[in-house]
Amino acid sequence: MRPLLERARENLRGRRVLAVMAGKGGVGKSVIAALLATAREAPLIDLDLFGMAVPKLFGVAGRLHEVGKEGIEPIEVGGVRIFSVGGIVGDRYVVLPGAYQGGVVEALLAFAKLGDAREVVVDMPPGMGEELLSLHRVADFTPILVTTPSAASHGVVKHLIDYLLELGKRPAAVVMNMAYVKCDGGVVYPFGKGEEVKKLVEMYKIPLTEVPIDPRLEDYIGEIYSYRGIVYETIQTLSKVI
Amino acid sequence: MHEWSLALSIVETLDKWALRQEVEVRRVVVSVPSVSQLDVEMLKEAFDMLKQESRLAKAMLEVKVRSPKYRCRSCGYEFGQVDVDAQIKALMQNYGEEYPLHLIPELAPTFIRCPRCGSHDIETELSIKIDEVETT
Repeated sequence: MRPLLERARENLRGRRVLAVMAGKGGVGKSVIAALLATAREAPLIDLDLFGMAVPKLFGVAGRLHEVGKEGIEPIEVGGVRIFSVGGIVGDRYVVLPGAYQGGVVEALLAFAKLGDAREVVVDMPPGMGEELLSLHRVADFTPILVTTPSAASHGVVKHLIDYLLELGKRPAAVVMNMAYVKCDGGVVYPFGKGEEVKKLVEMYKIPLTEVPIDPRLEDYIGEIYSYRGIVYETIQTLSKVI
Repeated sequence: MHEWSLALSIVETLDKWALRQEVEVRRVVVSVPSVSQLDVEMLKEAFDMLKQESRLAKAMLEVKVRSPKYRCRSCGYEFGQVDVDAQIKALMQNYGEEYPLHLIPELAPTFIRCPRCGSHDIETELSIKIDEVETT
């Protein structure tokens, strides 16, 4: 018997788990997860064991979790309660053979002190690796998929949707990040108009949210909780319908 | 302090299991890896406090501390705990009370390197498991 797996299941029981995931890396998934957690005032669990972007986005990289009798205390910043392996290892790399990744995910989900939160936002790593299998072992979850408009992305998004539907987990939304940028009174599509992604969501009947590029967002890395620009506004609108 | 949350995991898991099986638990054997540096006495004390009013109320906890055998997947070298003691000590000094393997022993390959080739690509048994349960 594995007590941590059972504890993790118990810890998430009755809470809605919004899992922000992507078929491939570099699509802005952690930023979307961070803004979604901010908009919903929900705890944010960083399961991207190797990327650990969440502590950097919130300006707490290197800060360690306190651990009490009841588990891991969140690192609270800007009203968001964060849990991350970054808060266990500090500001250093994580390298792990695949077999141990599941144990790390289960431990984090088992001991995260979630209090009375009725829902949590989970920042998943890209792809369909051990972390996704582990989350599935532990809890029911609602997927929110992030992609870019690029034709290079839609293939992996399709695979991810196919897999999730096979699990019986219909994505609540597909977020097409970096969809356009408003510039000199016009609209520019630096990564294309995402026609393939649009066809895909239409075929699967999944709501699509197009998130623009805001160059000012970069100024908020380290204090993303205080960003209230167009990307936040778009995520806030998305948040109301999922 | 982590011993308390671990003890709670053990009690909760077995209480639910015992309820399903319609049994009372008398003895539990849990095994933990030595790299976790868990305080066995504190774990037992927490278990004894938390087991009250559960199907483990009369249960005794035994804790086996496993000394892992490691194998480097890169060069094939096999080694024991004594070969990495210096690395563990340095890690404990660096982190103090927040020693990461105390909380998540599965993170060991992040910190421990093969004494022969220096690779982090090592394998061993690192999970915390319930090995035996005696019931009435």
